Amino acid sequence: MAQRRSQEALLPSLQLVSYVAIASVALFMAIKAGSLPASRWEPMSSGAFPRIIFIAVALLCGAAFVTELMKRGMPRTNWAACVAQVHRLKMVFLNLALFIIYVISMPKAGFLLSTFIYLTFAQLLLAPKRPATIVLVLAVATFFSAGPYYLFSEVFNIYLPRARW
Amino acid sequence: MTDAFVLALSGVFDPYTLALMAVATFAGIVSAAIPGFTITMAIVLTLPLTFAMPPLQGVAVMLSVYVGGLSGGLFSAALLGIPGTPSSVATTFDAFPMARKGQPGKAISLGLVASFLGSLISIIVLIMAAPPLALLAVKLGPWEYFALILFALTIIASLVGDSLLRGLIAGLIGIGLATIGPDPIMGRERFTFGQEMLTAGIPFLVVLIGMYAMSQLLSELEPSRSGKPQSASLISGDMRPHLLETLTLTVMKPVNTLRSSLIGVFIGAVPGAGSSISNLLAYDQAKRASKHPETFGQGEPQGVVASESGNSSTVGGSMIPLIALGIPGSPVDAVLMAAIMVHGISIGPRLILDNPDLVYGMFISMAVASVFMLFIGLALMRAFLRLLNVPKYIVVPVVLACCAIGAFTLNNRISDLYLLGCIGAVGYVLKKLDYPLAPLVLGVVLGPIAETNLRRAFQTSDDWTLFLTRPISAMLLVLAAISIVYSIVSYTKRRHTSASLE
Repeated sequence: MAQRRSQEALLPSLQLVSYVAIASVALFMAIKAGSLPASRWEPMSSGAFPRIIFIAVALLCGAAFVTELMKRGMPRTNWAACVAQVHRLKMVFLNLALFIIYVISMPKAGFLLSTFIYLTFAQLLLAPKRPATIVLVLAVATFFSAGPYYLFSEVFNIYLPRARW
Repeated sequence: MTDAFVLALSGVFDPYTLALMAVATFAGIVSAAIPGFTITMAIVLTLPLTFAMPPLQGVAVMLSVYVGGLSGGLFSAALLGIPGTPSSVATTFDAFPMARKGQPGKAISLGLVASFLGSLISIIVLIMAAPPLALLAVKLGPWEYFALILFALTIIASLVGDSLLRGLIAGLIGIGLATIGPDPIMGRERFTFGQEMLTAGIPFLVVLIGMYAMSQLLSELEPSRSGKPQSASLISGDMRPHLLETLTLTVMKPVNTLRSSLIGVFIGAVPGAGSSISNLLAYDQAKRASKHPETFGQGEPQGVVASESGNSSTVGGSMIPLIALGIPGSPVDAVLMAAIMVHGISIGPRLILDNPDLVYGMFISMAVASVFMLFIGLALMRAFLRLLNVPKYIVVPVVLACCAIGAFTLNNRISDLYLLGCIGAVGYVLKKLDYPLAPLVLGVVLGPIAETNLRRAFQTSDDWTLFLTRPISAMLLVLAAISIVYSIVSYTKRRHTSASLE
């Protein structure tokens, strides 16, 4: 029961943390905007508009923080609830990590190879492990890595990254 | 004017353009039929393919994807009970029960005919409303434009999400993100922190792909609440379209079709609203107006007609602010706007005066795409049943790879890929924290326009009272204030209602 309550309190807790984090970043950006030089050609400097926006973000985050606290009080969660949520979403995080590795490796490995490897691994991660599925996965990976590469280069004259080694 | 119309006509009715439009309409229908693949994603992925095309051809292809996509959600809504896109949520209420009763063919053909009629009605309204509005719009100064953008931003925040404050925060974060890079008046670098990938700013399309497509696709990988894998329920039964009966239910009972279409046009014309709202509103009004509201939700044909004509008619409605004022009412319109701008054509009140052939071409191509949508949809009804079964393990990685292609081909910049990865991760986290993403994306689009006009207004005169003394500007600011008050009141009411229900 206590664990369930902790899990339910996880989202409000993370929202409160997000208000603080966003407000902090917004205040930092507002200070940075204030340091941008003024122009003699216009009454508003290039930092004026962003400063208004970032201060408004910080104020709204403050208002949201106070409103949430007044409405629900301080939510009580624990580390175990957070770990359980991360575990529940492990497939999302694994796929996101794979995608980030894919885009980082693309300039070096080139579009063809990186896309083939990414599509193969990402599909294998999600697909049922059967021989027929593996064949299908490889076929899809080949088609969707070579297909766009040649479509863009031959038809549209847009060249996707080539391998550099 | 006649020359421009003839030029547009010959441009659209070029055989190659027509063939591309047919393929694009098909692609729009298929992509929207795949759950999790939104119209915005389809249109974003189409954009790079249009770079090499002439402006009218490119825009006609994008509009075909748009028109097809607005109807494509109907297939998964009727056959699986899953809305392929948010615009077909209300379609599931009656089309799915109708299909479960053994009439999937009738449910789909009814939706397709209603979509077709909705699109046509919206195009007629667009043709009548856009030119006078554009003539009025050229008289607007930076004060009015700034007030207009402010009004649009308040509507966005009030219409999206459960929390007004989080909606506003998201919108302002979007505007803040758009301030990174060179400033729009003097070109001075802001907030780049010495990072080369930020010197040109954050491209709005990278934000769009990252926020919408990536966060949505990653959400598709989450396990269901019960922890069990979701199974697709296949429909079997009569797949014949029953066209005569369908036409009787739509054309011979025009009040529901007309009312729902006009609701769609109006909602589409309001920046920030869109087909995801119009289908629900049209369905709600049809139910209220019906003599037998109890039949709604159990396979009532008028429910399908209301939802589908309501969502499809937003296409014409949303074009009104885009063509007349240069304001994208939804993320899809923003991508369309980007597609036109890529070809060096500036969007705004002068679009209709400077490029009448393009604007007429847009009207004609929307009508042609509607016809394609109707016939392609009817011809391929059976085939769609198979396409809906494409497994998620193929769809998600392939579409993510397509996102990377879309982000890279925009400017041929590797750094945009890194930005995409970062923005996608942030978008997913914000989505999980219940921040609405639509205000953020529209903030990125509208932010630079707001800043440019605010600074131009002060360059012209440093008297800030002009915002309040110029009639149109004052009226728009009053509307913005009313919109904020209205959203606060309706939000409070909704909270009271949910509290009393608990």
